[in-house]
Amino acid sequence: MSAVLLTRLKITDLAAWTALEAGRRLLPPEHALIRLAREELYLFEPAEGFAAEAFEGPLERAIESSNFFVNPNKEAYRFLTSSEKGAALRPPEGAQGILARPRDDTRDGELWTRLEREHPLEGLGAIRRARLWWIWTRGPGGGPAFEACYAALGRVTGRASGLLVNPHAEADLAFGNSVPWRRVEEFLTHPAPGLEDAA
Amino acid sequence: MARAAVLQFPGVNCEYETVRVLEAVGVEARIVRFNEPAGVLGEFDAYVLPGGFAFQDRIRAGAVAAKLPAVGRIAAEAEGGKPVLGICNGAQILVEAGLVPGLAPGRVEMALAPNRAPRRQGYLCQWVRVRAGDGPGRAIWASTADREAAVPLPIAHGEGRFVTADPDVSACIQMEGLALFRYVDASGAAAESYPDDPNGALFQTAGMTNRAGNVLALMPHPERAAWLREVPLDWPGPWGDRRRAAVGSFGTLEGAGPGRALFESLARHLGARHPEEAAR
Repeated sequence: MSAVLLTRLKITDLAAWTALEAGRRLLPPEHALIRLAREELYLFEPAEGFAAEAFEGPLERAIESSNFFVNPNKEAYRFLTSSEKGAALRPPEGAQGILARPRDDTRDGELWTRLEREHPLEGLGAIRRARLWWIWTRGPGGGPAFEACYAALGRVTGRASGLLVNPHAEADLAFGNSVPWRRVEEFLTHPAPGLEDAA
Repeated sequence: MARAAVLQFPGVNCEYETVRVLEAVGVEARIVRFNEPAGVLGEFDAYVLPGGFAFQDRIRAGAVAAKLPAVGRIAAEAEGGKPVLGICNGAQILVEAGLVPGLAPGRVEMALAPNRAPRRQGYLCQWVRVRAGDGPGRAIWASTADREAAVPLPIAHGEGRFVTADPDVSACIQMEGLALFRYVDASGAAAESYPDDPNGALFQTAGMTNRAGNVLALMPHPERAAWLREVPLDWPGPWGDRRRAAVGSFGTLEGAGPGRALFESLARHLGARHPEEAAR
């Protein structure tokens, strides 16, 4: 099992704000996008023969005490060790999630090299990256309307449909409720699913 | 006189030099702001989406601008056959809007993904060589180009890698010659590795057209190479030789650079008269 770091801006996130404004114009009638937030996800994968516990302690100290991953003046974070993160990735209350990864290898080799230089961590095999979009929606009945809103502003299919994920460069995993961490890890470590395959 | 609209989205930064080169080849050009009534665009014969960072590249480069009514109007004008050129960020907008390659109207079939080169990440700013092929866009965008010539042009982008996850789209691009401009090495052969191939694009594509050839998404910046003085002094090959020979000769330096040909080709297609010819 891997350790996970989730970071988000605590100052105004202009990309999320723009996505909110642009996304609202794409929704079907009587649907609302109430709120939209963005987080960066880092998955710390143990090297072969190691468990995540081998590097989690020093990694947590590196995150806390340096600006390597997080600038505390503008960013907030959640570091979830392999034992603490629980069985599933849970959305914030009322939200639903879209996890987007590049179609290429999700490993950030450049970041890993820099981390090794500044904070060498025995047992760390790879750092994988993805982006999480959280959306709060409302449909005609007054409840959440994730499916309709995802179709309108999730995966780009045409000029007027989709916004957050271009499926030719990225793959996405949309989830209405929680999603098992095992599924998240598979999604990030396996090759990206085909264009027509629903993740 | 042929008229071109140069679209100004918040964050673009190449609109003035684009106007300058269009005027240099005899096309009357006007900067049209993104929020002017879209109907205004109907008055023009051609459209250029210039380089820059529309909407600060928020979400993804080109993603937000692609949804604007102005781009919808340009899509409609393109269907009628009017030429549309997207340079760098403009190319990203055209791809995000589904105008390129535009095999199925209205469908987004490609992306401009982050550059991929060994041990390099992020924004890349350098000169490259491109060569025009024989695709459907040649008559509009490369009619004045030498078939064998490797044309030096500058690039400046972080997301310039043409990709598609749809194998049918990829096959069509290859079969129909939609990758009109491709990165090449100094000999004019297809670029095989960095730095000749700067970003790992599908088919080493630097510029891709739609099926009709009237819409071109081009990652290099021809408007930044439209005057000889803009060619780097240390550039090897014929353009570098010309540049070095012109040192001290103001008139020669003000002559055409390697990027001018694309605009001259467009002007010829639009029936524009060269300014010198018009003056006579």
